[in-house]
Amino acid sequence: MQIKECKIDKFKCSLTLPNVIKMSVVLATEKKPLIRFDMKKCAFCKICEFSCAKFHYGKYGDAISRITIIRKSPMIFKCLICTRCEKRYCISACPTKALSYKGGNIVVDERLCNSCGDCVKACPFQGIRLHPETKLPIICDLCNGDPSCVKACPKSALSLVWLPEVRK
Amino acid sequence: MIRVKKKMKYSGYKGKILRINLTTKKTSIIDITDEFARKYLGGNGFSARFLFDMVDPRIDAFDPTNVVSMMTGPFQGINSPTAGKYHMATKSPLTNGFFDSISGGHIGAQIKYAGYDGFLITGRSDKPVYIFVDDDKVEIRSAEKIWGRLTSETQEMIKEEIGDPKICVSAIGPAGENRVRYACVITEYRAAGRGGIGAVMGSKNLKAVAVRGSGTNEVADPEKFEEWMNWYNVESKKVPALATVLPTYGTPALVSTINNMFGAMGTRNHQTEFFEGWEGISGETLKKNYWDKDTACPACPIACSKMVSVKSGKWKGAITEGPEYETLYSFGSMCGISDVGAVIKGDTLCDEYGMDTVSYGVVVSFMMECYQRGLITKENTDGVEFKFGNDDALVGFIEKTAKRIGFGDLMAEGTLRAARIIGGNSERFAIQVKGLEIPGHSARALRGMALGYSTATRGGSHHDPRPTGEYAGASDRKAVEGKAAWVIGTMQMTTIGDSLVNCHFLERLLGFTLTQKWVDMINPVTGFGYTLNELVDVAERILDLERAFNVRAGIRRKDDTLPRRFLEEPIPEGPSKGMHTDEATLNKMLDEFYDLKGWDKRTGIPTKEKLLRMGLEDVAATLEKI
Repeated sequence: MQIKECKIDKFKCSLTLPNVIKMSVVLATEKKPLIRFDMKKCAFCKICEFSCAKFHYGKYGDAISRITIIRKSPMIFKCLICTRCEKRYCISACPTKALSYKGGNIVVDERLCNSCGDCVKACPFQGIRLHPETKLPIICDLCNGDPSCVKACPKSALSLVWLPEVRK
Repeated sequence: MIRVKKKMKYSGYKGKILRINLTTKKTSIIDITDEFARKYLGGNGFSARFLFDMVDPRIDAFDPTNVVSMMTGPFQGINSPTAGKYHMATKSPLTNGFFDSISGGHIGAQIKYAGYDGFLITGRSDKPVYIFVDDDKVEIRSAEKIWGRLTSETQEMIKEEIGDPKICVSAIGPAGENRVRYACVITEYRAAGRGGIGAVMGSKNLKAVAVRGSGTNEVADPEKFEEWMNWYNVESKKVPALATVLPTYGTPALVSTINNMFGAMGTRNHQTEFFEGWEGISGETLKKNYWDKDTACPACPIACSKMVSVKSGKWKGAITEGPEYETLYSFGSMCGISDVGAVIKGDTLCDEYGMDTVSYGVVVSFMMECYQRGLITKENTDGVEFKFGNDDALVGFIEKTAKRIGFGDLMAEGTLRAARIIGGNSERFAIQVKGLEIPGHSARALRGMALGYSTATRGGSHHDPRPTGEYAGASDRKAVEGKAAWVIGTMQMTTIGDSLVNCHFLERLLGFTLTQKWVDMINPVTGFGYTLNELVDVAERILDLERAFNVRAGIRRKDDTLPRRFLEEPIPEGPSKGMHTDEATLNKMLDEFYDLKGWDKRTGIPTKEKLLRMGLEDVAATLEKI
């Protein structure tokens, strides 16, 4: 499998940005996206983390990756990423109402966010972390509908699936 | 500690080395300049330079002034295939010379993200400690509670104490604490295995190094690097080893090839080199009956590590990451054991107690031959029958060796020292060079390895010279002509690999010796704009520095040799029947080797002219005083 990385320029993606917005808006009203993790296939190479950081910031670092794989024991790996859960713990925890759910993603309003980190603590899936420099929450945004981690995974342990949306 | 430092011109470096003195508990920063980076590249090169400057090579390896170097190269913390590694070096308690060992593990990237190119640890703490580096914050914390623990427990306990499952820990086990001469350092489930670096850490009362970094790393030319990555992804699919063999079987795939095609798998302490029970320890058997899942070093798409578990029989329940080919050789064929369950159990225990599996297996097989010849009896061995094929002896003595209990105390000294204690001409069949036990690539069936092992900085290591080219037929394994040039070429390649801190598996794609492809990989990441000639010079410079360290430690041409068994006894059977390198042939190759290297033929010391050509004026001046 060939790794085709998205260029940082969003318009060079395989799906152009306007199309992606249209697609995710249409789909997200009925379905919600999920990055599914297959522990049996995962080899703990963390290429997903590298490609996530590369896509969003053009450099590498696990503190700026929105997906994290940890090895709990020799055979148990865990994938920490936003699950687009039904409860939306982060949104209700935010004291400044900076978070909202739009088009299948948790979106941060940078003007409202005060970097308190309550959303990080509230998320039971550990899917949110604060950017070490800007201190803004960073949450999986599906890389405009074509997740770079899914594309980069050499073992095909990650896949993008659309689940029926329960909460309207 | 806030430091303002000019950003380096070249990418892949943080420009800082953290120096930690465990005696005074003080830390300081050594700045890395652009010229220094270009001259020594990283990993192996940095360690060689710092050790030459900081350590008196004549000291005992367990002296507090010895340094443990934990380094990264420009390739850590980026998405480059096979670069998920880190480098450790010290003056070895086995070889008494410069020694470096590379291991897979996420800690390499974390060191970079924390803002360092590496750590230099010196001194000796009066109480057990571990080091925690959290970006700019460096803590030397008490390890009283974790002292004596197994490596997996140690990693767990440190992660729990700090309260972050994401930190990376490199730890030693009881073997390192008890200064077993071949104790290793374990990160996750992989080992910086050889040469006793764990024992030196133990002598410093240093249980572990834990690192967490919130920074980033970038490459000099992202577009060129992306191009290179695309090239890698296409080309690596055309190389069977990288595309199918290693991803499917891992290194155990070598068992059937080396044993059946080459007849070069040391068996029963190299009494022969064809193991009749090979099928039991082959990669195919492991995959079919024991395999659970693949694992990988960070950033590596190959995933050659295999999680295996024993599902039935005597060793039911044993689980390990590995065993690699070298362990199948040292625990399997060398000890005459064809039940891979015992190898898996032994592999787990060695990892947990923190011991090198190659050295331990070869020590056991050496003891088995001593037992066979009556040099030692049941009275010496705590009542255990050290017969070839006795897996209870192999597995049972791991804990005893790690804790130096009873007969294990002698085994903990390694083959060379044990042979000198046992006496009775047993040094003749001690399978070691310069004290380091030889791994599973035959010095008799591969001419290059005969010359390679004898001249390697590390001694009996297959990561100074490489056997792969001879297996692949890139160099005729029986030829004497031109072998010196070939060996020098492979040593240059491994030195560059160890300095970038990249896996040597890239050799199948980029060349067994340095080629333009290696240059094309390095330049986009670092921005050096190397030419091939300059890269070769970097490798030679590092190798000469290592040799200069060893010369000061007392190593000369007389030490560049092989075990008597390899020089005198041809392989008795199998596809390589009759092959060996006798003393005259070895001497002929050595002469040619020193000539090409620019080392003195009589003594094996690098000549002044060579050192000056490499820009090592200070080293030349130091060597002149000897």
